[in-house]
Order: sequence, then structure tokens, then C-alpha cells
Amino acid sequence: MLPLLLALVLQQPQRAGEPPASGGAPATRAERTIAIDERLAADARLGVGDRVVVAGAPDAPGDTVRIAAIVRRRADPAEVARDEYTVRLHLDHLQALSGYGDRVDYFAVATVGAAATGFVVDRINDAAFGFRAHRSADIAVETSRTFAVVSRFHRAIGVITIVASATFLLCILLLKVDERRRDIAALRLVGISRRAVVRAVVIEAALIAALGSLLGIGIGWAASAIVNWHYGAVYRTPLAFALVTPEIVAFAVALSVVLGVLAGWLAAQRLVRRPPLALLGR
Amino acid sequence: MRFALASASLLRHGPRTLLAVLGVAVSAALLLDMVMLSTGLGVSFRALLTRQGFDLRIAPRGTLPFDTEATVDRASEVARQLRGHPAVIAVSPVLGASVHVPRADGSIAATALGVDQAVQGDYELLEGVDVAHDGAIVVNDAFLAATGARLGDTLELATGYDPQLRAVVGSRRLVVTGRARFIYLSADQRAVALRLPVLQAMGGAQRTDRVNLFMVRLAEGADADAVQRWVGQRIPRVTAISTASAIEQVDARLSYFRQLSVILGSVSLIVGFLLVTTLVTVSVNERIGEIAVMRAIGVSRAHIVHQILLESLAISLAGAALGLGLGLVTARWLNAILVTFPGLPEAIDFFVFKPRAAWTALGLLAAVGIAAGIYPSWRGASLPIARTLREEAVG
Repeated sequence: MLPLLLALVLQQPQRAGEPPASGGAPATRAERTIAIDERLAADARLGVGDRVVVAGAPDAPGDTVRIAAIVRRRADPAEVARDEYTVRLHLDHLQALSGYGDRVDYFAVATVGAAATGFVVDRINDAAFGFRAHRSADIAVETSRTFAVVSRFHRAIGVITIVASATFLLCILLLKVDERRRDIAALRLVGISRRAVVRAVVIEAALIAALGSLLGIGIGWAASAIVNWHYGAVYRTPLAFALVTPEIVAFAVALSVVLGVLAGWLAAQRLVRRPPLALLGR
Repeated sequence: MRFALASASLLRHGPRTLLAVLGVAVSAALLLDMVMLSTGLGVSFRALLTRQGFDLRIAPRGTLPFDTEATVDRASEVARQLRGHPAVIAVSPVLGASVHVPRADGSIAATALGVDQAVQGDYELLEGVDVAHDGAIVVNDAFLAATGARLGDTLELATGYDPQLRAVVGSRRLVVTGRARFIYLSADQRAVALRLPVLQAMGGAQRTDRVNLFMVRLAEGADADAVQRWVGQRIPRVTAISTASAIEQVDARLSYFRQLSVILGSVSLIVGFLLVTTLVTVSVNERIGEIAVMRAIGVSRAHIVHQILLESLAISLAGAALGLGLGLVTARWLNAILVTFPGLPEAIDFFVFKPRAAWTALGLLAAVGIAAGIYPSWRGASLPIARTLREEAVG
């Protein structure tokens, strides 16, 4: 059973070992405990054993409670941009503080298996208006719609940058091969066949593209490390924002080599079709 | 003369120049998109907030409008206090709630807004009449599509369900009197508007005299910041948010897009710079003999520098001109992706074209074009004439 977490107000921190603040919970009631997230603990300089007053509103009296645990936030993309603190209370305590009564926002229900899940969902949805049962998987799909949009946006940006880098690579390799026209003319004049010349140029262009892509992978890896370090610090989350995966490396190298071979072949074809003396400018 | 020589040099290697222009064009398109992205959301959000002429939003203390379920209690007292300020000319209270239209096979949920129809700024009426009486509701197209209702139909709306009594609570029969576009809701979000006291009554004791938000319109020329400070001092249980601070807060939440635009904009400039520098340097290397001859017959260093800079600038500007058109097309494509964010108001755009964005992109590319020509022009102008001619002659 998971309760709603309201915007609670924490007041008057007391260090562990100090007596409780006046105006707190009655002495007869057992001391209540809470857990706070590590972001709040760091910002408010709170630790396990410290006492704070929690209240449902800024001007409400509230209860003095002891911090029993500090919890780490999950690596959840949905929580990244929300610059807020989380306090976990026992359900009855939160209901009492917030004046929410015997209410909860939702129940999390564990079932014995997929078939049982379907049965329970159908029974609940058939039984009562006012309740709606959802499979966790459906909720995950719904809540990840934002990230699906971001992912589509990233893919679109990726397509544009690939087009830009492909044009750049093609242009550079054409220039590089064009620069070799005197060497190619010399090779042709000593009797090397057109096919051999084309093959040599294509291999050279492919090697340049492969070496360049390896260098690019190094730069990409360093950039992703900087991005993760920067955004991890900004959002205080263990989430990885940029990943260099084997699939991405394979794609980048393959694309570079294909473009390199294409550019080398195009440039070589242009050169071998011209007479060697013309290439030498004679 | 300089222009003629520069253009002749570029046209001599047509395919190569064309490829470079295309490369710069793609970079320019990306740069324009990123300039548009960096400012678009702010521009669009400001237009949305100021569309109905409200200058301040007043929400429960420490919250943003409708960011939480928190409400302001004793709302009529707050409204009275706000109306007491001489600069305030209108106060529009808004209460939000979920409502259900009971059906035999379940229910259809929708967002309900309780408003004061005389001063509301949440929707624009498209057809029919406004919520002129307590039994009237105005709905959007998504609601009509989901319920199959038409103007003039009577619907039962409930705010909840009592599982012990197995009956709906907060139920009312209401007549659909108008069709509207809800400005701050997404197009696919089912929405209804009704009179504020009606929704408060339907919500029971928990919603009595409560609202989620006040929208405040100020007199022409009034100082919004001063009124914001006054609200903070006089009504401490609420937070007043000006249009500027609302934009700042949204900007802070969506800073990712701004940072992405700076990074990708910089990368596109660097790619453009490297492309033009490489091309022009190779071009200069190929004709060092030609340049040496020109220097030998009395052409000045300044002439050589100008000619090479012109080549570099021409490639950059041609690419920029092509890229600006391409950028507008890709911006529409990228915007169409981002506006599908769940819950985003229909009127929000991420990429907003402003002439200033085009001029900024063009100016940056022109600067890059000139910067890219510096090294090759220095190389061309500083050639040792006699040695170069000898080496070229010997071959």
C-alpha cells in the first residue's frame, strides 16, 4: 500500500542527542520516525538520529519526529528535473498530519503471476466505479511517454548530425584523394593498372575513415564522461545521461568506413579516367 | 577584380565547392534550429501567459500553479484582499478537479475547471454560449469525442465515488452549452468548465471556499513586481508569481534544451569552421604557384588576403543561405516531435522563428567564414615568391 506524499514542512532541526523541541508530539505518544532523501539531508545538514518538526502547512504546529534513515533516490528519469525533496512517513502518520483521513492515492498489489494479474485487474474494474486497476507495465508505458518523446527528438537530432558529418567526411576524403593526383599519375605512368590504383586509394580512404572514427570514439567517450559528470552533479542523480555502447561504436565505425570507401572510390574514378599527363598538369 | 578571381577559384572545382556549401548548409540548418530552440520555449511560454492579459498568478504557498493538489482555503477572503489593491483590475479564481461521467461500462474521466465566467482566462469559447447559469458546462473537443455528447445534451458529472455506499458523490446533471479551446491544457486532455461555486459544492467540504489559483490582471503601467511583493507581505499563505518569474521557473526546469542548443550550436559552428578552413587551405596549396606569380607581378599581400577571405566568406554565406531554408524545414520537423510531450498546452512551441534568430545564425556563420579564411590567407600572403616559383617550375 503506497501513500500520497504531501508537501510537508520541516522545521527546527535538532542534532542527535539533543532533547526534543517543545511544542512537538505529546510525551505519551511513541516517537515517530521518518526517512528523508540524501539531497534533503545534504542541504539541511541532517543526519540519522536528528529530530525535526514535520507539519502539513507552514503555520501548522506539526509533530517532532526522529530521522531514522536517509534514502538514496532511484535513478528514475521522471524525477530528474523535479528539484524537490522527499520525506517518507508511516501511512497513518501522514494521513493524520495532512488531515487526509482514511484515504490513500493508490494501492500497489502483488499477485502470484501474470494470469492472476489479469484476473485481478478485470475483477476490480468490473466490481466498482471509482476504482481503476492498471497493470504496472501499462503505467510504465504511460509514464515513460515523456521520455519516448525525448528519445524521438534525440534520434531526429542524430539524423541531422549524421547527415552533417557524412557530408563533412565525404568532402574531406575527396580533397584528400584529390591531393594525391600527382602520385596517382606517377603510378599510372609506370604501368600500374587503373583497378590497382582505385583499390589502393579506396583502402587508404577506408583506413583514414577507420582511424578518424576511432579517434572520434575516444572524443565521444570523453564527452559522455563530462556530460554524465556535469548533469549528475546538477541534478544530483546516479542516472547516466550519455552512453557510448558497443552498438553505437559499431554504427559509427561502419558509417565512417562506408563513407570513406564511397568517397575514395568516387575520387579515384575521377582521377583514373583522366590521362596521367593531364593529372601532372602537362 | 578580387571578386572575379575568388569566384573563378571556387568555380574551378565546382563539385568540391558544392559539397562544401552543402556541408556548411547542414551545419547552418542545425545552428538556426539551435538558436530557435534556445529562445523558442521562452517566447512561446510568454505569449501563452500574456495571451489573456493576466500579469500575476497566485498559487498556494511554495507551489507553482496546478503543480500540486494544494489549494488556497478561505479563497473569497483572499480574492477580496487582492481586489483591494489599487493596481488590480480583475481577479480570476480557478479550482481544478477530476470529474467522471458515469457510464454503464465504467466512467469517462475529465479535468474540470471551476471559474468565474465574467473574468476567466482559461478557455476561448468556439461555439455556443458560456456558463451563463449554474447548470451549464463548456467542454472541449476531446471531451465531446470521448462522451459522444453534443451541445444541448445533459450529462451527469460526479467528483468521486463512495465505495461503501457504492454510489457516486458530488453528482450533478449539467447541460453542455458551449464548445471551447482550453488554453493551458493539451489538445487531447478532456476538459470541462463550470461555475466555481458549482464545482466547490460538488467537491464537498474539502473544496468549500477553496481554489487552486488566482489569475490577476493589473492596470496598464502597474508595477507587477511591487504588487507581487505586496501579496507576499499581506497574504503569506500564497505565492505570487509574475510572468517573468514563471518563465524563469519553466526555463530552469527545461534548462536541458537550452544547454543542448548551446552544445549542438557550437558543434555545428566548429564543423562549419573546419570544413571551410580545410577546403580553402587545400585550394591555396594547389595554387601556390599561381599566387607566387601574382605576387611577382606586383599584386599586394592585402589583395591576396582579401581574395582568399572572400572565397571563405562566399562558401560560408552560400551555405548559410541554403541552410536557413533547410533549418526552417527541420525546425518544423523537430517541433512536431517535441509538441507531443504529454500534457503540453496546445499553444506551446519549442522552435519559434524570429528574424533575430536568422540574423544571429547568419552573423555567426559570417564570422566563422572570415575566421576560417585567416590561416589559408596568411599562408597565401606569406609565400616566399622566388623559392615558390623555382619549386613550381622544377615541379
